[in-house]
Amino acid sequence: MHPAEVVFARILDFYGIAWQYEPRTFPLEWDEQKRVTLAFTPDFYLPDQDLYIELTTLRPRLSTLKNRKMRRMAELYPDVHIKLLKRREMRDLMIKFGLYDEAEKLLGTEAQMMEEEVEDVARG
Amino acid sequence: MSHEDEGWLEDGIREVLIRPEEIAARVQELGRQISLDYAGRELVMIGVLKGVLFFMADLLRCVTVPVEVDFLAVSSYSHKNDRQGGVRLLKDLEISIEGRHVLFVEDMVDTGLTLNYLLRNLQARQPASLEVCAFLNKSKNRLMEIPLKYRGFDVPDRFVVGYGLDYREQYRNLPFIGLLKGDRL
Repeated sequence: MHPAEVVFARILDFYGIAWQYEPRTFPLEWDEQKRVTLAFTPDFYLPDQDLYIELTTLRPRLSTLKNRKMRRMAELYPDVHIKLLKRREMRDLMIKFGLYDEAEKLLGTEAQMMEEEVEDVARG
Repeated sequence: MSHEDEGWLEDGIREVLIRPEEIAARVQELGRQISLDYAGRELVMIGVLKGVLFFMADLLRCVTVPVEVDFLAVSSYSHKNDRQGGVRLLKDLEISIEGRHVLFVEDMVDTGLTLNYLLRNLQARQPASLEVCAFLNKSKNRLMEIPLKYRGFDVPDRFVVGYGLDYREQYRNLPFIGLLKGDRL
């Protein structure tokens, strides 16, 4: 898990919310041989709310692929509820829960975020 | 813009989102509606310290039906609390709500995580009814779907302070809802 995901999981545990981590992968694009070329695995699933949650700590200009995946998800799986928590929303969430150090860390380390984007592309 | 606003704006506030007179007018409307809806019934209004302090105080004075008030205080998430398990009540209610009409008053509903926990806690005490009145509603980040019977203002997905809402325990005393300057976050 990414450090931000660890914090988010702990917050859910703290409030007694049932969650699953990456329980389902949604195929999004296929090649001519029907092999999946793009897929999306939301980070969390809250069964009681029937809600998937995707966290992103990427800067907005690095979020192109994730945004594309979210658009495809809406087209192909309109009945699946997904909430995307972006970088600023994650920061505000951490501040709200008093995690000021984590919120500040979230604003740094652009290099790490770019690495994460590369991994994201590799995973498809 | 008044001189008072200018003073605040020099002290870390970038923009006033909701002005004091707008707050006062909306709180009065909410109080009037609540009084109509609960006419003939005795009401218990419950809030969570500390953010709801100003909203509760103003709203109470606009409610004209018989009303009792009580407060809860709960532990927030932190690394220290994380090791101790889940949410803890730091201050419980002093009055029983069993069989009574309860209006839970919130400063702001954002993810709904805290509110979801508190409503489950209150529901277990078997009130006759349990509704929510939120001063601010920030729905973009909502994770728990919770019906809000009364709602003051919808606010954008920005970090807001004032009228009880804090950043690092500061800015609660602002008479308006404002946005912090970027360098304060």
